[in-house]
Amino acid sequence: MIEVIKVAKIYPPDINALHEISLTVSRGEMCFLTGKSGAGKTTLFKLICNMDQATSGLIEVDGQKMNLLRGRKLSQLRQKIGVAYQDFKLLPKRTAAENIAVSMEVSYKKPQIIRDRVCSLLDQLGLADKYNIPTGELSHGEQQRVTLARAVANFPTLILADEPTGNLDAVTTKRVMRLLSNCNKDGATILIATHDETIFRKSSHRVLEITNGRLKKMTGVPTVP
Amino acid sequence: MSFLFTVLRQLGRNLRQTWGVQIMTLLTVALSVLIFSFSYLVYTNIVHFGDRLSENIRLIVYLDEEPGPELRKQLERKILQFDDVEEINFVSREQAYNRFKAQLGENAAVLDGMPKNFLSPSVEVVPLNTLTHLNRLKDFSDYLSKMGGIQKVQFGQNWVEKFNYTSQLITIIVIASGALLILTTIFIVAHTIRLTILGRHNELELLKLVGATNNYIRAPFLLEGLLQGLLGSSIGLGTLYALFLWVKIHFTTSGFMAIFDFTFLNPWGTVIIILSSILLCTIGSWVTMQRFVKVC
Repeated sequence: MIEVIKVAKIYPPDINALHEISLTVSRGEMCFLTGKSGAGKTTLFKLICNMDQATSGLIEVDGQKMNLLRGRKLSQLRQKIGVAYQDFKLLPKRTAAENIAVSMEVSYKKPQIIRDRVCSLLDQLGLADKYNIPTGELSHGEQQRVTLARAVANFPTLILADEPTGNLDAVTTKRVMRLLSNCNKDGATILIATHDETIFRKSSHRVLEITNGRLKKMTGVPTVP
Repeated sequence: MSFLFTVLRQLGRNLRQTWGVQIMTLLTVALSVLIFSFSYLVYTNIVHFGDRLSENIRLIVYLDEEPGPELRKQLERKILQFDDVEEINFVSREQAYNRFKAQLGENAAVLDGMPKNFLSPSVEVVPLNTLTHLNRLKDFSDYLSKMGGIQKVQFGQNWVEKFNYTSQLITIIVIASGALLILTTIFIVAHTIRLTILGRHNELELLKLVGATNNYIRAPFLLEGLLQGLLGSSIGLGTLYALFLWVKIHFTTSGFMAIFDFTFLNPWGTVIIILSSILLCTIGSWVTMQRFVKVC
């Protein structure tokens, strides 16, 4: 699903965020990307979802070279990639439901399907009563869950979750992880960037560790449900 | 969800978020259209008035002597070489005498004892009654007076020249207000769309990231421009029509203005003004999107 081949990213003037990283994530796999703050996890996510361009190297998602994609093809691929951003990227004046619906509206899903899906996700994440609340009025943890709901709403084939449990208590973390596991069981490939050891310590999924922009350690083997 | 439905919903959100600016833009477009269409209305009425007056205009070419058949043909040919005309009439000395006598009516006795050939023979040239031809009367008169065997050429030169100047002035005003309409509309609409885009920067950024296509992002803005053009021109023309009715009811029933037969813009003119406004506003919107919405 994801092929990252000798990818480097240098931010001006000469900050090496990633040093020739190579990794492969199989279709349907769920794996964790861990490392300290500033290690390069978010940068790698940005390159994978084409928010930013690599300085060198090649990234392929679903067999398509990301640096060559433009226009309609790029839009179509982005519709298949759900990203839960670390900085949320929510629209504060729009309600939680509207924020989640955005990712389904761009692929012209029927309003009834969107409504059902949004309700279901809010329910799964313990936010059923926040349907009509503007996200600007939600707590940090609630906003984080709305972001995750938006990422998975459109049934993407690849989900990139950047610190999805950073502001959550243990119970809510479990809910979030259950949702991601269910998506994985339904066939989605999932890459989770996290500091939180508790969510991957007992997991059978692969854990990749990034340190100072280099892929240092891999534990586990690729597991596809 | 259909593309159209989605675009309309996005458009609704745009309008709700920036309604203050939208109303200002709408009023500016309406005012521009009003200024232009007012000038154009005055112009068309002047042309109409000119057409009516020109129906009575004729050039009288006084000849040195009674033209024979050959000279008549030559004169006809020369006249038609300059321009098409409505009518050419040769008036002999005797016909001129009889007309004059008829015009004198009860006072015809003053002609007793006068020879019947004391008036000059002439050619009456009735030009085509369009403004273009009317504007060329002076040239026509100069041309005719330079032909051989002509004593002089008469027509309502004073009036035609004044009319000519007025119509030229109005033409300049129409062109200037047309240019104003184009510049104002494009500038204001472009500015409004820019404000909308800046106000929704985060949302547009997000839409790109979740896979919105170029059309999905751009269509609402284009539609916004189109709507500004449609509503703005309709308001402008509606206001002009109300003004027109008011002037017609209060000022044209009596007095000096009564000689004018005021008419409103014809339906085609109205449709063309509306379509032009729509086009200009859409262009304004398109130009801004090209500059400020970098999609992918």
